[in-house]
Amino acid sequence: MQMYKKFAIADYGRLLTNLFKSPIVMRLSLIWLIISMHMSVFAVGQSITLNKRNVPLANVIKEIKRQSGYNFLYDAAALLEAPNISVGMKNASVTEALNQVFQGLPLTYVIKEKNIIISKRAVPAERERKEIIIQQREVAGRVTDASGQPLEGVTVAIKGTSTATMTNSEGGFRLPLEGTGNVLVFTTIGYESNEVSADSDGPIDVVLTEEISDLEEVVVVGYGTAKKETLTGSVTAVDGAKIAQSPNVNVSSSLAGRLPGLTAVNSSGEPGNDGATLRIRGVNSFGSSDPLIVVDGVPGRSLDRIDPNTIQSVSVLKDASAAIYGAQAANGVILVTTKKGTIGKPSITASFNQGFGRPTRLPEMADAAEYATLLNEIDTYAGQTARYSADEIQLFRDGSDPWNYPNTNWYKEVMKPWSGQNQGNVSVSGGSENILYYVAVTTRGQDGYYYNSGSKYKQHDFRSNVEAKITKDIKLGVNLAGRMEDKNYPTRSAGDIFRMVMRGKPNLPAYWPDGTPGPDIEYGDNPVVVSTDATGYDRTKIYTINSNFRLDINIPWVEGLSVSSTASIDKGINMRKIWQTPWYLYTWDGSRDNNGDPVLLRGKRGFDSPALSQSTEDNQSILLNGIINYETVVSDNHDIKVLAGIEKITGGLDRFSAYRRNFLSSSLDQLFAGATDNYLTNDGSASANARLNYFGRVNYAYKSKYLAEFVWRYQGSYIFDKASRFGFFPGVSLGYVLSEEDFWKDNLAAIPYFKLRASWGQTGYDQVYFDGVLQEFAFLSTYGVGGAGKAYVSGDGATLNPTIFETGVPNVNTTWEKAIQRNIGIDAEFFDRSLLLTADYFDNLRSDILWRRNASIPGSTGMELPPENIGKSGNRGFDFSLSYRSRNNGDFSYEVGLNGGYAKNRIIFWDEVPGRPDYQVTTGKPIPTNPYNPDNDLYYQAIGIFSDEQALADYPHWPGARAGDIMFKDVDGNGTIDANDRVRSPKTNVPTLTGGVTFQANYKGFDLSLLVQGAAGAVNYINTESGEIGNFLKSFYDKRWSPDNIHADGPRAFNRSNEYWRSQRNTYFLHKTDYIRLKNIEVGYTLPASALNQIFLSRLRVYVNTYNLLTFSPDYKDFDPELGAGSGQGYPLQKIVNAGISLTF
Amino acid sequence: MEPLDKFSESAVWQDPSLVKAYVNNIYTGVTTGFGAVMMAAIVDEAHHNQNWNTTPTSNGLVTPSNLLVFGSSDNTFLDEMTWDPSYEKIRACNLFLEKIADVPFDNEAEKDVLTGEVLFLRAFFYQRLVALYGGVPLITKSYTLDDEYTVPRNTFEECIDFIVAACDQAASLLPLTGDKARGLKGSALALKARTLLYAASDLYNTGGEWASGYPNKELIGYTGGNVQERWLAAKNAAKDVIDLGVYALYGGENPATPADATSNFANLFLNNGNEEDIFLVFKDNLRDDHWAAPNPGLFVGPNGWHIWGEDSPQGQFVDRFEMADGTPFSWSNPDQKANPYENRDPRFYATVLYEGSTWRPRPADAAALDPIGIVQVGSYTRPDGSKVPGLDTRQGPIEDWNGGFTGYYLKKFIDPTIDHQYEKQTLPFRRFRYAEILLNYAEACMELGEEEEARTYINKVRARAGMPPVTVGGDVLVAQYRNERAVELAYEEHRFYDVRRWMIPEEAYSMVKGVSVKGDMANDGTISNRTYSLIDVESRAWNPHFYFLPISIDEMNRNPELIQNPLY
Repeated sequence: MQMYKKFAIADYGRLLTNLFKSPIVMRLSLIWLIISMHMSVFAVGQSITLNKRNVPLANVIKEIKRQSGYNFLYDAAALLEAPNISVGMKNASVTEALNQVFQGLPLTYVIKEKNIIISKRAVPAERERKEIIIQQREVAGRVTDASGQPLEGVTVAIKGTSTATMTNSEGGFRLPLEGTGNVLVFTTIGYESNEVSADSDGPIDVVLTEEISDLEEVVVVGYGTAKKETLTGSVTAVDGAKIAQSPNVNVSSSLAGRLPGLTAVNSSGEPGNDGATLRIRGVNSFGSSDPLIVVDGVPGRSLDRIDPNTIQSVSVLKDASAAIYGAQAANGVILVTTKKGTIGKPSITASFNQGFGRPTRLPEMADAAEYATLLNEIDTYAGQTARYSADEIQLFRDGSDPWNYPNTNWYKEVMKPWSGQNQGNVSVSGGSENILYYVAVTTRGQDGYYYNSGSKYKQHDFRSNVEAKITKDIKLGVNLAGRMEDKNYPTRSAGDIFRMVMRGKPNLPAYWPDGTPGPDIEYGDNPVVVSTDATGYDRTKIYTINSNFRLDINIPWVEGLSVSSTASIDKGINMRKIWQTPWYLYTWDGSRDNNGDPVLLRGKRGFDSPALSQSTEDNQSILLNGIINYETVVSDNHDIKVLAGIEKITGGLDRFSAYRRNFLSSSLDQLFAGATDNYLTNDGSASANARLNYFGRVNYAYKSKYLAEFVWRYQGSYIFDKASRFGFFPGVSLGYVLSEEDFWKDNLAAIPYFKLRASWGQTGYDQVYFDGVLQEFAFLSTYGVGGAGKAYVSGDGATLNPTIFETGVPNVNTTWEKAIQRNIGIDAEFFDRSLLLTADYFDNLRSDILWRRNASIPGSTGMELPPENIGKSGNRGFDFSLSYRSRNNGDFSYEVGLNGGYAKNRIIFWDEVPGRPDYQVTTGKPIPTNPYNPDNDLYYQAIGIFSDEQALADYPHWPGARAGDIMFKDVDGNGTIDANDRVRSPKTNVPTLTGGVTFQANYKGFDLSLLVQGAAGAVNYINTESGEIGNFLKSFYDKRWSPDNIHADGPRAFNRSNEYWRSQRNTYFLHKTDYIRLKNIEVGYTLPASALNQIFLSRLRVYVNTYNLLTFSPDYKDFDPELGAGSGQGYPLQKIVNAGISLTF
Repeated sequence: MEPLDKFSESAVWQDPSLVKAYVNNIYTGVTTGFGAVMMAAIVDEAHHNQNWNTTPTSNGLVTPSNLLVFGSSDNTFLDEMTWDPSYEKIRACNLFLEKIADVPFDNEAEKDVLTGEVLFLRAFFYQRLVALYGGVPLITKSYTLDDEYTVPRNTFEECIDFIVAACDQAASLLPLTGDKARGLKGSALALKARTLLYAASDLYNTGGEWASGYPNKELIGYTGGNVQERWLAAKNAAKDVIDLGVYALYGGENPATPADATSNFANLFLNNGNEEDIFLVFKDNLRDDHWAAPNPGLFVGPNGWHIWGEDSPQGQFVDRFEMADGTPFSWSNPDQKANPYENRDPRFYATVLYEGSTWRPRPADAAALDPIGIVQVGSYTRPDGSKVPGLDTRQGPIEDWNGGFTGYYLKKFIDPTIDHQYEKQTLPFRRFRYAEILLNYAEACMELGEEEEARTYINKVRARAGMPPVTVGGDVLVAQYRNERAVELAYEEHRFYDVRRWMIPEEAYSMVKGVSVKGDMANDGTISNRTYSLIDVESRAWNPHFYFLPISIDEMNRNPELIQNPLY
């Protein structure tokens, strides 16, 4: 409360100032909001709010139990006999609530301490109950979920009798028993019911499996939640617990295969730098296709670095339902919600994980003898004498003279077999009627692949989510999360290091036989040295604070009306220091000392003296919103929910950087110790942004059968000119629950639930990038400032004159991309609700993509034409999920899921180069791999290898082609091979089909879960730097043409890009990346509760899990199919094996 | 909301210091010659070992859809000389000239000087465009989004007249002395002299026979008028620069010894400005961390110093250096063949690194193999019969793939006091220097038949180099003048234009030659008994369309009024 007051005072000041700047609508809303906040301070009491229509009594009781914290004891039969009821109450006391619930029912209740005992209204029933309790012996036990978490509120009934109770917050229960042969029936909402014999002597521990398709399940949507049952949009969600099953340090990589329609593609496994590129329903635009990420209601927070232990759920809005996020929603929205406490005594959970990572896949390279052979072939083809004799090649092969004829496997020299990573987490969660809390602390560390690795990552997190009821009508929620990231890298980037590992010549030593490091491959780069801290360091420390302050207020005098307000302040500080020091490598000229030992020469490499580059960035983002909610039921059948809100987001950052070199010594890495010479630079910059949004949602449902939703956002973005700054983005969706119709119930009982959905929405995307630059302020005529390296030097070289330049002709009409999202889908449950299907078809249209009209303005104008909103693209496809869960069958239960998505995009309009043949045009074809270089997707068609001179004579060929070269198809049949023979690839680097298979099973204390994930429809170009510059792939060596093997599948040895089939992109090097991989597997064992009682633990689980353990990619074997570049010049993706233990006190 | 990383337009044109910064940026459009691919590599001066499109370019394979080294790329600065980047800077000049009148300067004289600088710069960009493309559209206003953009090419003659007039106007506004990195009276007049010299040359005055059938000869040369008047104008323009009296040949005209002449010629390029310089181009390269930022020491030196061996001198270029007595060098002379690098023009020793020449000390890891720093481009036999590749070859122990192919490396411009694998040199590129003006003057005189005057001025340049005077006349004088120009101004971005305007491209685009060296290496590493033989390095051919660059296909499509250059 204190915190709220402080915040509120400061904040009201700002709100009031804004009143005079904001449009009238916002002003009125704010006034209203402030008044209502003050008024409600006077309300008192505790409350139960319920709005249920025609639901089983058990549902209502469970809800009251959740809201009040009371336990229920009751006669199950009586509850089952009761008819479905409808209740509507707002902030009712427990008594008021119960009175309303039991009104007209043949039931009554008694409150005893924290228990509510329900019984039949008749007096005899009351007496009978008492007798039972007094006379019988007791059975006791504990109920947990698959992961071993205690389940509270489970109904435990004795089969065939009316005796029942509910479990307490530790999952424990106690029941009177009579005789033998009793069977206990365990039921609770959201879980499979289970039957267990009550005859055993000890405590009865029962594991309940979650229902896969609980229509009561609530999913997070924009600015609220929705029940799956009445959901009309295409929304998919996954539990935080599933994400935490992946031992990956980075959350974005853990989403792959979990959510239909969402793809997560990794391009690097480098610790701290391993975020996946997320795409919802593929690529929708040739501008940016990044989805909006919203964490706890705040857009723009990091998904990558959030602690997976603290995630409650992740939802993905795929269609018009995203329109409530307006001009940022066109690529879909990912909503992350963090955990909060539940009523009960404090539950302390501690977990520790120790994992080991290694690359998923490394290319096999030629060895020294093979490389020498290839070099000899290069020499021969160039008309020179071969550089190695057969004897020398033999020496490379047998390794008898490692000083002169080494045979180096660079991958093995640079990388250790396994690299460690670990994670420790402690969380405390609990609460009472008035306060709920969830507090967690996590620390994570990850080591790089290299020996003595210069790459290391550490992260420390805390989160404190507290929700307090201040009065009966006022609830305050405070979420605070802090994070410290510590990224350490060598001064050479991972790209540089792996480029050198790939190029690493097997006939050069990584280390000399005496252990000193060998020579560089180029530029001082010997990867065994530059991957360590021997060259200095590149260290980034990132400090992040995310805060949410949320106030929920019920308006007591209007039933169903509530308001809420959120303020969030996020602050980030980012500090980077690159300390580059000289390093030393050793060369050998063959000379030896008097003992005959080789004499190595030590040479300084990289830098002559230390240099330091240091930068600091300070950024913040502030969000303020106010939301009004109104819910009502009209004439019992019409459910209406209305939400409206305003939101203002402002942000900005300041940067500062400096550089000095020629440090006197490498012992002091502080700027002052560097020289004040001409290399010294410093720099600084800033940016700011702001958005103002009005948004709302209306839900209507008639008898839970006909459903409709309308969402809208009116959004203004600083990126655009005043006149065109605001836009309106509506979304409509409809649902029809056919299974509620009588004709369905009568005829299709095997499908107890069936819903048809359809949606249409218009959203926008204001992150208008062109060629990597956000086109903010494109409407202004501005002059940019030339930075370091761009000054004009005069005054005999001594004066650095600043430069400014016209940044481009303004385009006042610049606006957001517009998207039309259309979706139809079904949700269905079959066969006793054990099989669930959700399927969606979508057709998205994107227009107003910012693109430069190159063909229209001559270069002689000297004008840089601004990009204009001219591009159009389309994207169609489907996604689905299908899951089956075993019916209750004792100790063993399982569930299987299959999900997938298909998306294929096309360009409808952009600036096409005129006069191209049909097979080269882009319009109507998929968006190119790099839209800014669409010709990179044009390939000559490799149709074989010219085996000999005769083959050359028989087919048109490139000028100067010779035997062993790749045969290009004469596509236009004009008898020559030229640029018109290139054909646009129908596939790009984006997979069209993605999916996952999940499997989960429980047997007694054991649990198993699997995720198999795959993608198809993408291609990648394999392009290694080979020849004199670097090594060849072994697969190339094995397949190559040579005079001894003229009917080979592959071309002859080559030097860099000297051959036409190396410099001209062609399909020989283009490979399908289709793959299937075992993304996750987790096996766990939870100790029986009986074993834990003595050690004060309520739960202990040990588990082993893996990430990317196995991969199958038939046409892509040298590199990981997910890794972007086909050059091997990137940090390989991780395979992780992890073991963990989790304790709950 | 206002952007925090930019100035608004209105702020710029009210503030003289921002206007000056704006002009500074226009200066950055004057390219340096110190890119990784030097212009020398696409004419008969150099061969580029990495072949970043230099081989196809040198075979004339540029087309409107593939401009090769002139296409946009981050490896070179050659693309910055072409159409779009030049017009971008021309637009900046036009905008300045439209706005400058209303900018409140405290000192009107300052405004005049800035105006003079911008007029000079605009003329400079147009001269460069005309030299590459022939007649181009003369744009003198800054377009707005609503203008009509299509515009035809102006004739060659109109372009020359425009540039000359702009130079005269600039010269009238600019000071005689001052910062040589900025426009001065002398730089404007030097630009005019170069423009008129080129314009008087054969390529533009012989009716465009090579482009027979091309209907728009007015775009590629003069179609009438008197060539003698043009040579006279060129002569007078050069004389105007000479008569300013503020420039002199560096180091005087009479070095005491050949060694003095050599060090004098080397040092000419190893300072930040001297009496010979007219217009200098520095770059902010120390603070530019892009690998391709000007760093000639790293780009061109021998691989045995851990540097990249690019733009290495061609054999036929090296052979142009006369013997010290002024006679031509020849491989068919057995004495000269046995000791090809003895008694040559003193400038040879300041320009080329060759087998056995001494450069700076080797880096630590190579120092034991060669403590002095003697260039090794050969293959040597040890007493035990084993073969040792030279440190600076493509078979050597250090970065062999960076070795050159010709047996030579460039020494000119490169500061020997710096370890180029770590340090960048900041020496300026000399866009105009006095020796060029003297040679320009001599050429114009020669073409006007004033051979005595021509020889006098050629001999000033030769005397400074420690070379005996030229005494011949007629065609022999022409040949010797051209050789003199090639040697004196090597790698300074003259040869590419000279071989075109003289119309001697077949000579310039032929098989690139190099030298192969064999020798004996004693156990202490000393090399003796060297023998030399000529080798073929790369075949090149002349394609007549390469007299001019093509206008890019995109530009042709955008502006239908353009006419493409001949034979494309």
